[in-house]
Parts: sequence; structure tokens; C-alpha cells
Amino acid sequence: MKPRDRVAAALDHLTPDRCPFQATFTPEFAARLRSDLRQDAGGTYNPHGGGNSYELELALGEDLLLTSVGWANSYYQDGDTYVDEWGVGWRAVPYATRFGPGHYTEPSVHPLADRAALSAYRPPDPGRAELYVDSAAAIRDFGEDYWIVGVTVTTIFEAAWALRGLERLLMDFIEDPDLAEEILEIPYRYHLAAAEQLVRLGVDTIWLGDDIGQQAGLLMSPRHWRRFLKPRMAHMVATLKALNHRLTIAYHTDGCVYAIIPELIEIGIDILNPVQPVAMDPAKLKREYGGELCFWGSIDEQHTLPFGSPDDVRREVRERIATLGAGGGLILGPTHHLQLDTPLENFWAMTEEVTGRTRAGGSG
Amino acid sequence: MAALDELREAVIDGQLAVAVEQTKRGLEEGIPAQTLFDDGLMAAMRRVGELFEEGEVFVPEMLVASRAMTAALEVLKPELVAEGASTSGRVAIGTVMGDLHDIGKNLVAMMLRGNGFEIDDLGTDVYPERFVQAIRDGAEVVAMSALLTTTMTNMRAVVEAIGEAGLREGVAVVIGGAPITQTFAEEVGADGYARDASSAVRMVEQVLGRVRATNGP
Repeated sequence: MKPRDRVAAALDHLTPDRCPFQATFTPEFAARLRSDLRQDAGGTYNPHGGGNSYELELALGEDLLLTSVGWANSYYQDGDTYVDEWGVGWRAVPYATRFGPGHYTEPSVHPLADRAALSAYRPPDPGRAELYVDSAAAIRDFGEDYWIVGVTVTTIFEAAWALRGLERLLMDFIEDPDLAEEILEIPYRYHLAAAEQLVRLGVDTIWLGDDIGQQAGLLMSPRHWRRFLKPRMAHMVATLKALNHRLTIAYHTDGCVYAIIPELIEIGIDILNPVQPVAMDPAKLKREYGGELCFWGSIDEQHTLPFGSPDDVRREVRERIATLGAGGGLILGPTHHLQLDTPLENFWAMTEEVTGRTRAGGSG
Repeated sequence: MAALDELREAVIDGQLAVAVEQTKRGLEEGIPAQTLFDDGLMAAMRRVGELFEEGEVFVPEMLVASRAMTAALEVLKPELVAEGASTSGRVAIGTVMGDLHDIGKNLVAMMLRGNGFEIDDLGTDVYPERFVQAIRDGAEVVAMSALLTTTMTNMRAVVEAIGEAGLREGVAVVIGGAPITQTFAEEVGADGYARDASSAVRMVEQVLGRVRATNGP
């Protein structure tokens, strides 16, 4: 089966020849993989899928290719500190693992921390043609064989928290809801326009994302979610599906979000990502929502991939394919960008188990 | 006492101005500062913790409750000092080196503060030496947070640095964060692990009791 047909089958709740696979990496893990595959290093790998050349994805047998437009592309820019086009200030934070050093980039300066800054604030323009050049090329070069995902994650809440600061935004929900609405509207409008353009270009899926879960429950009350996020998500999904009725919508949120899953289905979300098994029970999700919802992810990047053995990883992959993947409905992958602390053996155990491809070009 | 009831309610609802006003009213009515703290602020924060555990309130409600509590505590502080009140203990808290995620750490700090602990908030990206210094400055408990699997290993470096400084005996080390487990806590030599802000308070109280029993008065 072509990767594209494999994904289409799985999303139609039909059993494909094998479970579709998709993974993203931190830039450092990607560099380690490229070296293991003896690939000439391309530019810095972008885990959200902006500006990537896809050699790595193709070599690994991935079935979906990501192309990203939006605030999330501000991650992993160069420099110890930088300010992105939204005015968000970033800081590079180094860390060390047994496989070498790496760094994360974290928003550290929030341009709307002072509410007085809001009246003069001008967000970037999502209508710039150059933003979509890579996406058009990805669709042109790979769209016939691969499933192309337009990524506009950090869609509403996460980009708004970068603008305002997380705790301030959460307190605004209670103390100044009108201000919260105004700030949420900024990234929402931008990412809606970006997603509309990606749909017009021909992506197969739009990937929305906003982390609203903690390990054991929602970060905010269902009431606040219904007031601030659900109506915007619902309008966005409806607008995008009106442009292409065959479009599917994936939604990413970390953590445990049982409380709102029926409402995600109600507003037209087709695929839930990343399904952290430490936060939600995959078998329960499949049992209760598997008829309406597809799942994407599910291989634990909190314990199994970094700290388990290759056999632990293989066992988890088999279990997920048997539960979440029964009768289709699963795109398997890690629950987060592969982190540098993950042994390559574990990564290869996951890919081999799902794709059946043995590792090519590596050193053993 | 109406002031106490209203104070508790104001803190639970995150009404900062009302909490401050009721604290002042309580003092004017002659309620001891310690009573306003114990039966007003602490009782309210304990209730907020319970509501959080029960899934009745969420992070935004905890944040505004904590801010109301902190503002009321500012009013009480001079009176508490005058009354010679003692704290539950001094806790140095921080997110470990390489990690800037602080909401979990902040929730734990606010619940501890609401339970009578004095908090030395070291912030995020905290190096081992900084935790050691905080112990030298009087912390009896070191509380560490990490969100990332790549940074949680730095907790071990902190425990080691405390040991190398010869301070391990006198201090309780507790940890938490999304990827942390009890097994991991034992591996790095921490005294305790808690999965959320509310159980963190109970765990710190237990662990501190053990350390104090070992060390004597």
C-alpha cells in the first residue's frame, strides 16, 4: 500500500496493510538519527515540520509528512536568546544526557504581560505568500504518495499564553474574561487564516493543538474550556471542513482530557493526539470513542522510550496496535518529539515493530 | 466569627480585595493573627487543595485563591511576628537546572505557603549550588520540580551536591513533576515524591517530621 492509502484506510476505520507511522524529533535526536543513517546533515530539523526536507521521514518509512505555518515555528531558532515575529522573547536552555548535550528553546518574555501593551500590539500577517512556499512544495512533491498534514499547533491557548504568560492568562479567565477573549483571538485569527490557506493548497489533515491537560485532569475547568476555547475550535473546524469536506482534523493536547472528549467529537475533531498512556488508558479510549475518533501517537515518551528496553518498546507497540489499532483508527508514534535521552535501539525497536522495515545503513 | 467565615470564603473564591478587608476586620475585632492565619487562610487553602483533588476547581481557581491568600498574609505578617508565631518549616523550592517549567512548582509553593510553610522560591533553571546555598540559609526542606525526562536526572546532581556539602542529614529532599515516579525518587536518593500540589503538603509534613525526629530538636 502507498503510505497515503494506508493512512486513508486507517482514518476510514479500515484495517490497512500495516499500522501507519509518524514520529517527530528534537533537533539533537534528529541529528543523531541522521548520523546513524549516514545521511548528509540537512538544515536544523524542525520538530513541528516547518522547512524540513523529509529525507529523514522517508528513510524511516513514515506515512505522514508535516508542514507547519504559525507560531510553533518560533521554536528552535538560532541564538541564546531571540525575539520572534510575535514579539515573544525566547531563551535557549541547555541540558545534558548520556547521549550528549542538547538544548530546548523556551518562551521567556511575554509581550502582553502588561495589558496596556495590547492596544498597540500588531500580530504578524498570515497572508504573506512566502509562508506557504514550503507547504506548496511538500504537497507538489510528495502529495501523491504521502499523507500531508498542515500543522497549525499552538493554535489558540498556547500561543496566547506565550503572549500573555501562562499564569496571567489563566487568572484572566476568572478576573478579566474580556481581556482573555481579546488575547485568545489574536493567535486564533492568525492560525485560522493559515489553516484555511493550507487547506486551499491541498493538505489532507489540519493538525490543531493546545495543551489543556495535566497528568491527571484538565488544567482549566470544562466550563472555562467551553467558554474560551471550544467555540473558537468549533468555528475553525467547521470553516476548514467547508473548504474541503474530505479534510480531517487532528487535535493535540497533552495529558488527561477525558472530560471533554465527547465535545471534541461533537465539534468535528477526527483524530486525537498524542494519547499519553500514563495519562489516559488507550484501551478505554478505544472502547468508548474508537467508533468516532482516530488516535495518533500512544507510545510512551515519559518512561518506555527513554528508560525501557527495546523489548519493552516492542511489547508496547504490539499492544497499541492490538487495542487502539484494532479495525484501523490508529497512526502510531511517540507521544512527544523523540528526546535525546532515548536510546537509538529503542527508537529502532519502535519503527521496526510498526513498519516491518529493518534499520538501514546503521552500525548495528 | 463572621470575619473568619468570610475570610475563608474570600480566599477560596480568589477575591483578593475582600480577603484583605476581612483580615483587617478580623484584627480590628481582636481575633489573634495566628487564629486568622490557622482558621482563615490555612483552612481556606486546605479546602482549595481538597477541591482541586476532587476535580471541583482547577489551576486558574488555585492561582487566584493563592494570590488572595498571599495578599491577606501580607496584612497578617507584622502581627504574626509580634505574636511570636512560628512557621511549619522552611522550604527551598525550585525547578531544576535546564528546565523553565514552573507552574507545577508554583502550585506546590502556594499550597505549602497556605499551610504555614515559609517558602524560599529559587525560581527555574536552578543549579545544584543554589539549592545547597538555600540549605545554608536555613531551609529544612529542598523541593525540586522537573517536567522533562532530560532534566529530571539533574535532581540526582542536587542530592549529590547536598551530600558533598555535608548537609544531607539535616534536610529533607522531596521531588515532583510529570515524569517523576516513586521509584525514580528512591533511585536519586530523595526522601519523598508527590504526584500533585495537595499531596505534596502532606508528604512534606511527614518527611519533615522524620528528619526532625532523626536530628533531634
